[in-house]
Amino acid sequence: MSAPHSNEAVNGRLETATLEGRNKVLGFWLFLGGETVLFGCLFATFLALRNQVNDGPGGMDLFEFNIVAWATFLLLTSSMTSVMAIVEMHRGNVQMMRLWFIVTVLLGAGFLGLEIYEFIHYLNLGLGFTVSAFSSAFYTLVGFHGAHVAFGILWIALLVIQSYKKGLTTVTAPKFYVAALYWHFVDLVWVFIFTIVYLMGRVG
Amino acid sequence: MAGNKAGSTRNYWLTFAVSIALTVITFYIVAKLDTSGNFLIPFMIVLAIAQALFQLIFWMHMNEKGHLMPIIGIATGAFVALTAVIMALYWVW
Repeated sequence: MSAPHSNEAVNGRLETATLEGRNKVLGFWLFLGGETVLFGCLFATFLALRNQVNDGPGGMDLFEFNIVAWATFLLLTSSMTSVMAIVEMHRGNVQMMRLWFIVTVLLGAGFLGLEIYEFIHYLNLGLGFTVSAFSSAFYTLVGFHGAHVAFGILWIALLVIQSYKKGLTTVTAPKFYVAALYWHFVDLVWVFIFTIVYLMGRVG
Repeated sequence: MAGNKAGSTRNYWLTFAVSIALTVITFYIVAKLDTSGNFLIPFMIVLAIAQALFQLIFWMHMNEKGHLMPIIGIATGAFVALTAVIMALYWVW
């Protein structure tokens, strides 16, 4: 078939050229199934406790919709740039793949910066983690997502650095592919946070 | 195996456009329309699910060959997540 470290794409798909690569992608999807359960439970907790404000501020007293809208736009765009990175990977163009991943990391960092600013702002308005059931559920859900973004930034940044040394092979391609899947998933969770945490609070 | 063809890149941009559009629509109806939550909340959740499906199918390549097990994995996760939401909303608190 093919040499294990060939730089040539097999069937146009480097990431599934080896059994190890195929298993990595499959295993990662099962991990994402588990992540769905994790976030499902955090959403369930938030939905059940979102009105228990215990004399503290509620969502409508706090939420900065302009910041949230910008954060949503940044993360959505970063998900698009990471899919473009995979397109370039399938074309065998390491330089362009790297460039799209760097843009992804920068947009992710922008999102994280806005979220940190937002949390500090809410803290100054009296929404500490232990103030109410609402505040605990809010910070746990949105903070867990933010931690996923932080991890994703670190992960993709390290992969970009590694790509300078190792290039695009059947060993490295599954890593890029799986990291992009992870980033899409993080964006997908944000779609529900945006709708359920921020906008639903406004409807009542 | 058409992922590296131009046609598939068009689907990625389409997904981006749909995601932006659905987000803006959701934001707009919440900000501007004076409708009761009984109608609005299910509608918003349907829009969110539609956007999630677009991203799963195109951005996460679920429309490509060999994705039966990933679909089973995510569907199982979504089923447990939905069970947790229903349980927390109607049984626990």
